[in-house]
Amino acid sequence: MRADTRRSANLALLKKLALIALLMFGFAWGLIPIYRVICEVTGINQLQRADAVGKAARGAAAAEVLLTFDATVQAGLPWQVRPLTGQLRARPGEFVKVEYEIVNAGAREVVGQAIPRYLPAAAGEYVKKLDCFCFKQQAFAPGERRRFPVVFFVDPALPEAVREITLSYTVFDVPGKGA
Amino acid sequence: MAVVTDTEQGHHARPRGWSRWLAATNHKDIGTLYLWFSFTMFLTGGVMALGIRAELFQPGLQFWQPDLFNQLTTLHGLIMVFGAIMPAFTGMANWLLPLMIGAPDMAFARMNNWSFWLLPPAALLLIVSFAVPGGAASAGWTLYAPLSTQMGMGMDLTIFAIHIMGISSIMGSINIIVTILNLRAPGMTLMKMPMFAWASLITAYLIIAVMPVLAGVVTMVLTDRHFGTHFFNAAGGGDPVLYQHVFWFFGHPEVYIMALPAFGIVSHILPTFARKPLFGYASMVYATSSIALLSFMVWAHHMFTTGMPATAQLFFMYATMLIAVPTGVKVFNWIATLWQGSISFETPMLFAIGFVCLFTVGGLSGVTLSVAAVDIQLQDSYYVVAHFHYVLVAGALFSLFAAVYYWFPKMSGRMYSERLGKLHFWWSLVWFNVTFFPMHFLGLAGMPRRIPDYALQFTSFNEIASVGAFCFGLGQLIFLYNILWSLRRGDPAPAKPWEGADTLEWQLPSPAPYHSFVEAPELEVGENGAIRGMKGGVHH
Repeated sequence: MRADTRRSANLALLKKLALIALLMFGFAWGLIPIYRVICEVTGINQLQRADAVGKAARGAAAAEVLLTFDATVQAGLPWQVRPLTGQLRARPGEFVKVEYEIVNAGAREVVGQAIPRYLPAAAGEYVKKLDCFCFKQQAFAPGERRRFPVVFFVDPALPEAVREITLSYTVFDVPGKGA
Repeated sequence: MAVVTDTEQGHHARPRGWSRWLAATNHKDIGTLYLWFSFTMFLTGGVMALGIRAELFQPGLQFWQPDLFNQLTTLHGLIMVFGAIMPAFTGMANWLLPLMIGAPDMAFARMNNWSFWLLPPAALLLIVSFAVPGGAASAGWTLYAPLSTQMGMGMDLTIFAIHIMGISSIMGSINIIVTILNLRAPGMTLMKMPMFAWASLITAYLIIAVMPVLAGVVTMVLTDRHFGTHFFNAAGGGDPVLYQHVFWFFGHPEVYIMALPAFGIVSHILPTFARKPLFGYASMVYATSSIALLSFMVWAHHMFTTGMPATAQLFFMYATMLIAVPTGVKVFNWIATLWQGSISFETPMLFAIGFVCLFTVGGLSGVTLSVAAVDIQLQDSYYVVAHFHYVLVAGALFSLFAAVYYWFPKMSGRMYSERLGKLHFWWSLVWFNVTFFPMHFLGLAGMPRRIPDYALQFTSFNEIASVGAFCFGLGQLIFLYNILWSLRRGDPAPAKPWEGADTLEWQLPSPAPYHSFVEAPELEVGENGAIRGMKGGVHH
């Protein structure tokens, strides 16, 4: 092969390979929406949406479950978050309503987002939430105090072995929102 | 042998002094730079490893505060992966590929220079980061969010270093692919090409496919840190687990980026010293390719404890186990190559056999870890540390030592000291196992990785491992001494110092002429690059 034809063949291949590298860089960013869609389609990581009630057999006379409520605030967020009910017993299938009180003790407007967490973690899929302040971001003026209901029932399909569930919220400061 | 040696030095005269290195465009000079750079980084990362082992010699805190300890584990990992192992293989590829396939040089000589000279500034950024407020990155080499989205400016320096090293390795890979696909001498067809060329080609494709993904994910960390995005911030709608998915989409192929060239090197050395052709050449090529393809489908086996659905765990578990099939094909082919061979045990052969034995140990502990139920128990324990050091130290590093000893006569024109080489091998073999074998027991007993302090019952095995590590580290000075001594005083090497070697580079005089194959030779080639006949080929 002559030198100049070889050079142009090399450059053509170089361009193709550089394009692959660029596309793969784009692919890394493309993984973000792909990941979100996969989570939505498969129902994994569905933290901020009401559960479908469906045909869950409610009122089944299963043994009562001990429910514990808790809340934590991210360091630096000037909020006080506490459940008004610490513990209660409920039958699977029975609607439960508890309230959380949030106070913005800081001198600035803050937007927060609560993320629920369950102990044991495997019990999470059996806690069917119908209403929750964690479904959306909450804006609080300085000194504002509000109460929020959490309405849910425990799916009667809950394994017999699990008789205690802790529902714990961690409240995060949403960066870039609020004053 | 019809080699026309043109001794006249025209406008291609060899540059002298520092400009020979700074403005290097010759593939041999750049290969040499890569090899010395990676050895320097190997010693740097090694000193950090000794810092880690010194702290772990006894429970309690003796030398470092936990924060500095975490910085040492993080930088040890990053420097060994991106500073030592990867550049060493690129250096080997630079030195050897043109000689093996009959090309005059790498396809893009100036880009080659840039690929190398990006590395020292990147390494400098990593080392300097120890001195900035907050210290170096301490999130582990995987830089998991949300740790990496919180730390001080050491993390920013690390991210920039990764960008630079990523660009360097992508350019190096483009060079390797274009050289192999476009510059092979007539007769050197793809399915006759030596295994090291195949391994380098496939590795280069892997690098081009996944290094940009790493660059992307660390860029997201950077924008989360400074520009108000929340890719990995749960409060802003992001997800820290997402980081792990994107990182390991890069991270698992990266494992094979550090293993495939080692497979290639061993596939040269075993046939040479067994004086038999490589068993199952075609199956070796296909096995290497299938390992590369499968490596894109197994990333979540690093994430079994993130709360994945059981279906996903099973998929990634079976896919991971599947990789043992092509890897097994390779190990059995190597053993079959040795079978009834006329074997002699020179230093490269010792390292290659050590590689096959110990890499298999690391491979088998990898299969153990691939079982999701077992992995959930062993995740982030010292069992994992033992596993990946068996494949990276006894695997990648031993293969690199084998390669340096094997090709040293061709590179330098002198023989290394066989006595010191053998001492280096046996010393490394013994102390490697003393260091890392007890880590299996520590992990099974529940000792977590990346901690500066531990429960008292782990003391004995940690002491053994620390003694082993210091002896292993000391032994690498034997290697350095051997190389430095042999470069000056070694016996002159013949063109083909190994009786059983049959690839193209051994047709050249030793040391290889500065400008080799200026005109391509006409080759008659057998499998694995065995030269049956050669016409022409001009060197300066």
